Amino acid sequence: MALSANERARYRRHLSLPEIGPAGQQRLKNTRVLVVGTGGLGCPAALYLAAAGIGTLGLVDFDRVELSNLQRQVLFGTEDLGQLKVEVARERLLALNPDIEVLVHALTLRADNVCEVIEDYDIVLDGSDRLSTRYLINDACVLLGRPLVTAAIHRFEGQAMTYIPGLGPCYRCLFPQIEEGAVASCAEAGVLGVLPGVLGTLQANEAIKIAAGIGAPLVGRLLSYDALELRFTELPISRRDDCLVCGEHPDITAPRDIGPVCDSATLTARRLSAIGLRDLLASAGPPLVLIDVREPREFAAEHLQGARNIPLRELESRLAECAGHGDPVFLCRSGRRSLLACAIALRGGIAAPGHLEGGLLAWAAEVDADFEVASD
Amino acid sequence: MSCTVHIPSPLRSYTAGAHRVPADGATLEEVLASLEGRFTGIRFRIVDEQSHIRPHIRFYVNAREAQELCAPVGAGDAVHVICALTGG
Ligand SMILES: [Zn+2]
Repeated sequence: MALSANERARYRRHLSLPEIGPAGQQRLKNTRVLVVGTGGLGCPAALYLAAAGIGTLGLVDFDRVELSNLQRQVLFGTEDLGQLKVEVARERLLALNPDIEVLVHALTLRADNVCEVIEDYDIVLDGSDRLSTRYLINDACVLLGRPLVTAAIHRFEGQAMTYIPGLGPCYRCLFPQIEEGAVASCAEAGVLGVLPGVLGTLQANEAIKIAAGIGAPLVGRLLSYDALELRFTELPISRRDDCLVCGEHPDITAPRDIGPVCDSATLTARRLSAIGLRDLLASAGPPLVLIDVREPREFAAEHLQGARNIPLRELESRLAECAGHGDPVFLCRSGRRSLLACAIALRGGIAAPGHLEGGLLAWAAEVDADFEVASD
Repeated sequence: MSCTVHIPSPLRSYTAGAHRVPADGATLEEVLASLEGRFTGIRFRIVDEQSHIRPHIRFYVNAREAQELCAPVGAGDAVHVICALTGG
């Protein structure tokens, strides 16, 4: 549908730009953009996309507004506490621009619904706060051939990159994969409120350029922003021929859940292989603090010499017992509970907890075939 | 030989908040050893015990990606350590 007189008045400053003009504005109107996460990044991005006249905006978020969101999530007000974010956001965006359509998806993206949601849109903005969701969205966009503008933040630092099918690298080309784990909640590192405002606005900028077909997208480049020093750094990223999803022989041909990865523990826990742990134990230095987080029954069957037993369920209240020379290394049967233990330790202020990847099963397989690993 | 290492946000707890720190070394491996000498524990957050660069870390020397720890580093070079961020 052509622009109405009202729309021509609303978008006059766009229409004056030769790079956009009536044809470009019409393209924005015909474009459908999905914003995943209406948090720190999604709020400013959605505001600018709505103001710019992107015809259809989709919002994905399952959360409700909390007081601690308001420091940076600029779509919400104090009176919205407890409301579904996507519903409040929809109301605000339509108040800003009643000529657009706002669709809400109050759900969590998973392998079995991500394609269904994304395929109705032309461009995807990722403002989610979990690595597992970031990989899911990246893979779905590669498989469905949708441009993806991704951004992420931590304390005073932000990153952004754009993927355009056939034109450059995807998120997995940059960070191929993060190992799986299963941790319930993630420690809060804190974030400067205005930081996602900068990055989310950059995401909107990218989406508008792609929709209008103008400029040079942030493809093949990682933009890193340091708010404290006010410095933008750009680093090249190449497409990897061996990329798991966009490479020559992709391994991933359908989206897959990688489980509730705990981002902070996954990124910060020291990961020891069985061989690595054996070498550490054999080295001269002071003895490692080994904490076996299995159940007492499993521990009784067999355990590593020097290990102490604190079952995972008791760890939070017995964290002080992990003190020793250096930070503790957690052990369990498969490496799942020990990663959870790392997350608990990180929350408790232990700077660099470690765990045995693959657990004692890996120890039995790689180091000591006689080690008896009790079933859990 | 001294270079400047740009420290990503998640690792600044090791450098007392410093964004950029000087380090010595003719290769990335030596630069990491130099960092470890001053900021105990930081190396293990960047490479694993088999000395593989962790999958959420990327190295750049003067804005060119370096995929191996044997990559040369010269005096005055800028080494960027990029770490995947997750927050939204
Ligand atoms: Zn890729």
